[in-house]
Amino acid sequence: MIFWEKDIETLQRSGIHKLQVEKLNQTITIAQNSLYYDKLFKQKGIKPGTIKNIEEITKLPFTTKQDLRDHFPYGFLTVDRRDVVRLHSSSGTTGNPTVIFHTASDLKNWANLVARSLFTAGIRDTDVFQNICGYGLFTGGLGFQYGIERLGCLSIPAGAGNSLRQIKLMQDYGTTAAHAIPSYLNRLYDVFKELNLDPKRDTQLHTFVIGAEPHTEEQRRRIEEMFGVKAYNSFGLSEMNGPGVAFECTFQNGLHIWEDAFIVEIVDPETLEPVPHGEVGELVMTTLDRIAMPLIRYRTRDLTRFLPGDCPCGRTHYRLDRITGRTDDMFIVKGCNIFPMQIEGVLMKIPEAGSNYLITIENINDNDELIIQVEVKREWFSGDLAKLDNLTRLMAHKVRDEVLVKPIIKLVEPGSLPQSEGKAVRVIDKRKIL
Amino acid sequence: MAFQVSVFLENKIGHLERITSVLRAAGINIRAMTLSHSTQGWGILNLIVSNPQLACETLSDNKFSATLREIAVIEMEDHPGGLDDLLKKIAAAEINFTNAYGRIVSPGKTAYLAIDVEDIGNCLEKLKRAGLKLIPDNDVYGNGNH
Repeated sequence: MIFWEKDIETLQRSGIHKLQVEKLNQTITIAQNSLYYDKLFKQKGIKPGTIKNIEEITKLPFTTKQDLRDHFPYGFLTVDRRDVVRLHSSSGTTGNPTVIFHTASDLKNWANLVARSLFTAGIRDTDVFQNICGYGLFTGGLGFQYGIERLGCLSIPAGAGNSLRQIKLMQDYGTTAAHAIPSYLNRLYDVFKELNLDPKRDTQLHTFVIGAEPHTEEQRRRIEEMFGVKAYNSFGLSEMNGPGVAFECTFQNGLHIWEDAFIVEIVDPETLEPVPHGEVGELVMTTLDRIAMPLIRYRTRDLTRFLPGDCPCGRTHYRLDRITGRTDDMFIVKGCNIFPMQIEGVLMKIPEAGSNYLITIENINDNDELIIQVEVKREWFSGDLAKLDNLTRLMAHKVRDEVLVKPIIKLVEPGSLPQSEGKAVRVIDKRKIL
Repeated sequence: MAFQVSVFLENKIGHLERITSVLRAAGINIRAMTLSHSTQGWGILNLIVSNPQLACETLSDNKFSATLREIAVIEMEDHPGGLDDLLKKIAAAEINFTNAYGRIVSPGKTAYLAIDVEDIGNCLEKLKRAGLKLIPDNDVYGNGNH
């Protein structure tokens, strides 16, 4: 058996559309119970039953991250707070975080999607699954945890980092499958080598699930080569629960996006009109199963496209290409979503750094590094090496507190950085994606 | 009061040369120098020059981060054990320094040790109490009759 839920996964297109229209009208009914959508729907004359066929979804307004922030924390909540059992939230202290609430049934549906995703990648209840990923507000920890348990694997909630312990866990319990961000796996492999261990010989690993961070097809192949595993792409975003939104099947030819749980549109980011099937645009998603916090036509800011043609696996849900970019200035390092404004906010509070700086993301020794260059101005330069050293440590520490990634602070001579023009913060991404 | 010129520089090929060429053009003579480097690709160049004020201004005009930093310049004898004698006295006076460099003033007779400390006022006080002799500024900068 290759399907987790055969009827849903192989539903014909007309059946998918029928199901979506039905669920969309239910979602409109539920969404009316939130302050935000109630007001918006009244303004626009939107009622349950408004949508007769799937194309009519374009009658509905978009929802943006800014809308979520502006109505923080409870503006999108549809249920009494006693029915909410968990929240997940974005990191950071700059502005309002993006927070998503879940009822018990939301968590159950989410876990089922993760279980279906893992099953699609060939993972079974006989597997020992090590989740190498931060738990807590970040959705990758608990999101996978509940999915692994739903699937019935033996789960090892290993958390992030501590490579020696990760390897020991793998050996002690015979881990066969694991989830991690791709850049971490490069580091983990180095530790295997330092211990004179070969993951191919000394572990029982056969499958990796990788995601949360942009990576190339070559990087995936290298990870497969190093560990002797199959590595499958995972896509998710916290606004759409987290992991379990779209996943590769064993054919590794794009990510099946679960259309019974989400309506997926690709639109032109300028005109906001749908692009022809197969062309690149912004991914827009509508939740179909969520109770506590349904989101309608949410602009993910991710750029991607539908891959044309049928998948030999038999699943009918459309496949997404890798994310090719963003329509805003957010970037992802080590699995953390970072907005340049967050870093600017931190640096502005350190007088020595407030002048001129440049953010660069670079792949160094197979690790994505966040590098912040700061000009040493003569106004505050005292000739004291220890002071400068402490300053770089302070900056690294404060930025880490905000974005959860420890940056490399590089002090540079005055005049060596391009002058900032008082507009967007300059970010240079030197990583090779796609 | 003796001053060294401290300049921030990145540890890159040609960067030190950019500083010396600016000083050369301004007719400034370098008497002594040290380079201390961090592990993060940058360091600080410390210079004792014929005219520290002019050197600092010239470097600043050329967009370098340069500053004048007061140092203690102590006399010692130019023979084997001269530095050892001096350091014993500095240790006895309980002075801790973060950087030090020396130069001969009069071969076979006098040399000096320049030390960079966190609290220069306190350091000068201790040196005085220990009876250690500071070198006159003109001799530090090499503008005397030696």
